[in-house]
Amino acid sequence: MIKRYLSFLAPIFTFILLLCSWELIVYFKNIPKYILPAPTDIFSSILLNYEDLLLSTFITFRITLLAFFIASFLAIFIAVLFSQSKIIELSLYPIAVIFQVTPVVAIAPLILIWVGLDNAEYAILILAVIVAFFPVLANTNLGIRSVEKNLSELFSLYEATRFKRLFKLQLPYALPFILTGMKTSIGLALIGAVVAEFVAGSGTSTGLAWRIIEAGNRLDIPKLFAALILLVVLGIFLFLLMTLIEKLLLRRWDFDKN
Amino acid sequence: MLKFNKIYKQYDTPILGPINLEIEKDSFVSILGSSGAGKSTLLRLASNLIQPTSGSIEYLNNKKPNIGFVFQDPTLLPWRSVIDNVLLPTELTSKNVKLSKEKAFFWLSKVGLRGKENSLPNQLSGGQKMRVSIARAMAQDCSLLLMDEPFAALDEVSRNKLEDDLLDIWEKNKLTVLFVTHSVTEAVYLSQRVLVMSSSPGKILDDVIVTEKKSRDDSQNHEFFLKINQLTNILKKESDE
Repeated sequence: MIKRYLSFLAPIFTFILLLCSWELIVYFKNIPKYILPAPTDIFSSILLNYEDLLLSTFITFRITLLAFFIASFLAIFIAVLFSQSKIIELSLYPIAVIFQVTPVVAIAPLILIWVGLDNAEYAILILAVIVAFFPVLANTNLGIRSVEKNLSELFSLYEATRFKRLFKLQLPYALPFILTGMKTSIGLALIGAVVAEFVAGSGTSTGLAWRIIEAGNRLDIPKLFAALILLVVLGIFLFLLMTLIEKLLLRRWDFDKN
Repeated sequence: MLKFNKIYKQYDTPILGPINLEIEKDSFVSILGSSGAGKSTLLRLASNLIQPTSGSIEYLNNKKPNIGFVFQDPTLLPWRSVIDNVLLPTELTSKNVKLSKEKAFFWLSKVGLRGKENSLPNQLSGGQKMRVSIARAMAQDCSLLLMDEPFAALDEVSRNKLEDDLLDIWEKNKLTVLFVTHSVTEAVYLSQRVLVMSSSPGKILDDVIVTEKKSRDDSQNHEFFLKINQLTNILKKESDE
């Protein structure tokens, strides 16, 4: 019981200790705000700019979620196509790998030109989709391929159609793999959205990345830290959300004991 | 029930053949042999899951029977309840679900799993999972039951109990059973006929008819254990060669 409380309290205590040390160092060393603001300055900045920051957080959250859903849907759909035809897999997989290995920063200007500078938000969405796409594709593909040979033979024995094999065996079997991919992907969608916004510049988007650039240019470092903290909180929230969904969906899945 | 005519199976190297074999209707036949003897391949050929490289398989009246397959592991879908696992073949073959549901309940209670219909596979013991697997095969009115070392992973008590239940099911239902096993005792205890296979490539080395009264108590049945010794010696001789 004590161990359980300790595992919960230890990280919180460490975090508080870190914040106190940070505050004291800044105070006693007289470090200027534009170099390293104290945690209290950052907190004040959040309170002072909460309307701007919350709006930007919402914009980044919206783009991240949208990119995540589009990427997941596309990736699962393409992985299903792969499972139906080896030729399709051999033809498309290298293209997917090319997208995966190309740094998003390198293709951002191109995408921005193609969609038009007035549509920076679309460019950010496309770039975030590209970044988030691959983990779901690779994991779904792996999950579908991992179906136990005996289970597959059982479906062959009863002459299951492709459709039934897909929906009653392959996709349910791959679900834990798909969710693992999605857990990675949701974090990458956020990173993609932020990096893309950095590259795309202001445009019409005013997500958290733009707030960071703006605050940096004005040497408003407390606000920069405030935006950064919101970004971290958003990332943690998205990760926990996916973990919860995974836990709820996988209550019935237990391959090890079967 | 089933006839293998000059069957050969080859992947990169020859696996099996030649196999000439006739399995009589309603008989219980065990296939005994060391690992790699092609026993499982023979079952998969019998079920049409794989095709022979040459030769042919004939079914009784040239009509493929309803085949039930029980694998070495229970092959249950972990996200489906016990009853839904038993109903899976019905869904795959688009049979009458209502009728099949009655059969599924019947067979689950037959294998001693009444009350466990809504449990998930991970809530069952190894023996219970294997019982679900048997109920799933039987609920399809199978007339040919193929079993690939189904009790190999079970403890002795569960194994003995399942063997007795299987014999009971076989005796009460018109059923042909082809049972692959490593265990000589199991083969002799269950079957009317034991086929001993040699390996590389797999062939039928010996075809032994078992007429002795079956018993687990050696003090009561000397002949039964002589038969076990006979088969053990055949296997020993094969592995020495």
